[in-house]
Amino acid sequence: MRNILRKEVRLSSSVLSFLFILFGLMFLIPGYPILCSAFFVSLGIFQSFQTAREANDIVFSALLPIAKKDVVKGKFLFVCLIEACALLLMTLAVILRMTVFSAAPVYRSNALMNANFFALAVALLIFGLFNLIFVGGFFKTAYRFARPFVIYIIAAFLIIFAAETLHHVPGLEILNAFGTDYLAIQLTLLAVSVILFLLMTVYSCKRACEDFERIDL
Amino acid sequence: MIAEVRDLVKRYPSFELDHVSFGLESGRITGFIGRNGAGKTTTVKAMLNLIHPDSGSVCFFGMPLAGNETEIKKRIGYSTGTVSWYPRKKIGSIIDIVKRFYETWDEEACRTYLDLFRIDARKTPLELSEGMKVKLNLALALSHKAEVLILDEPTSGLDPFSRNELLELFLGLKEKGVAVFFSTHIISDIEKSADDIVYISGGKIIAALPKEAFTLQYSLTGETLEDTMLRLEGGFIHA
Repeated sequence: MRNILRKEVRLSSSVLSFLFILFGLMFLIPGYPILCSAFFVSLGIFQSFQTAREANDIVFSALLPIAKKDVVKGKFLFVCLIEACALLLMTLAVILRMTVFSAAPVYRSNALMNANFFALAVALLIFGLFNLIFVGGFFKTAYRFARPFVIYIIAAFLIIFAAETLHHVPGLEILNAFGTDYLAIQLTLLAVSVILFLLMTVYSCKRACEDFERIDL
Repeated sequence: MIAEVRDLVKRYPSFELDHVSFGLESGRITGFIGRNGAGKTTTVKAMLNLIHPDSGSVCFFGMPLAGNETEIKKRIGYSTGTVSWYPRKKIGSIIDIVKRFYETWDEEACRTYLDLFRIDARKTPLELSEGMKVKLNLALALSHKAEVLILDEPTSGLDPFSRNELLELFLGLKEKGVAVFFSTHIISDIEKSADDIVYISGGKIIAALPKEAFTLQYSLTGETLEDTMLRLEGGFIHA
């Protein structure tokens, strides 16, 4: 898998996938719908799929001395690598906002979602949806990606909209906790999100392997 | 037999590969001839596991392709025409990635073939002519000591000099015991280099014979192979 991941990084990817990881730091921007940063990160990954398609990457990979399912696993591995890097930046931003900047007025007067573990959980959910809808959808044909990407955009923005709305609902203000308030609940929600992300990604990868095995290139 | 295609069937709405069978031997060059749309590329794709036949099997080194894909692909080389991979990446970078997938990769051989084909590893595939792209694919295939070479239309689009160079190269590989299988619609290429002929028309194998046997069976007195093929194709068209 190391060789196929190396191929993904050095041959198949777009530089934008790596640059857009920096959008993870948008979690530091006050008064901004920070969950959009997860969407921007996935937009960067989408660029790699576009670059790879232009370069006949899928057929090239299928001709390498590896099993066809490893081509799919390589793509998922690359996507998860980018998502993990972005998530790392988001986590750093969350920790900064929860500790050093927890009392900063610019964050305290924020009408939009705060950078906390719940926000991180939602970002992870958006990444999970990207893996499920877009990456899995792409491997139904290994060629067409417009439809799965449009469906993913709709799903991602519905999630962002829902997350930005929920904390305004009476009783759910805890979702917008500052600092270390309601830490146990936040961490629980994050743990649930991690499980959902893993379920979506593993299911999508398994399904994509089966789809890719079936299609003619 | 180093490779065997047996009863391959692949149905499309407007075309059918109809029980295609033939074999390849070590140290022999097999020309796979047929007009455009006869089923050459479909057969080659099935041999490379890029498409799934409805029935039939492909075996290499006595192993079925299904279930032994990785092992087999390590021992075969391929070139799918002039398709260029990663057109904007440096050839050197592409080679650096590809070689890691083959335990048998021969760095020295790779350098030799790049020099022989006058391919500059600092260039990108986009900067190569169609003929040079074929040569790059060949250099990659030959650098991992492939025992069987499967080449889809390697001479199409090449100038006569490059075609001749390529056919000479095939003859050199044959001497080394490599089985070369190349599809073409250029009959003179077969005449010049092939030991065996697999002739496909309308998705059906019409003949899979040594060249001499093919000529004996199908050619009229004084006919060249090209005349024979044109007559046969004419016959099949009007049949």
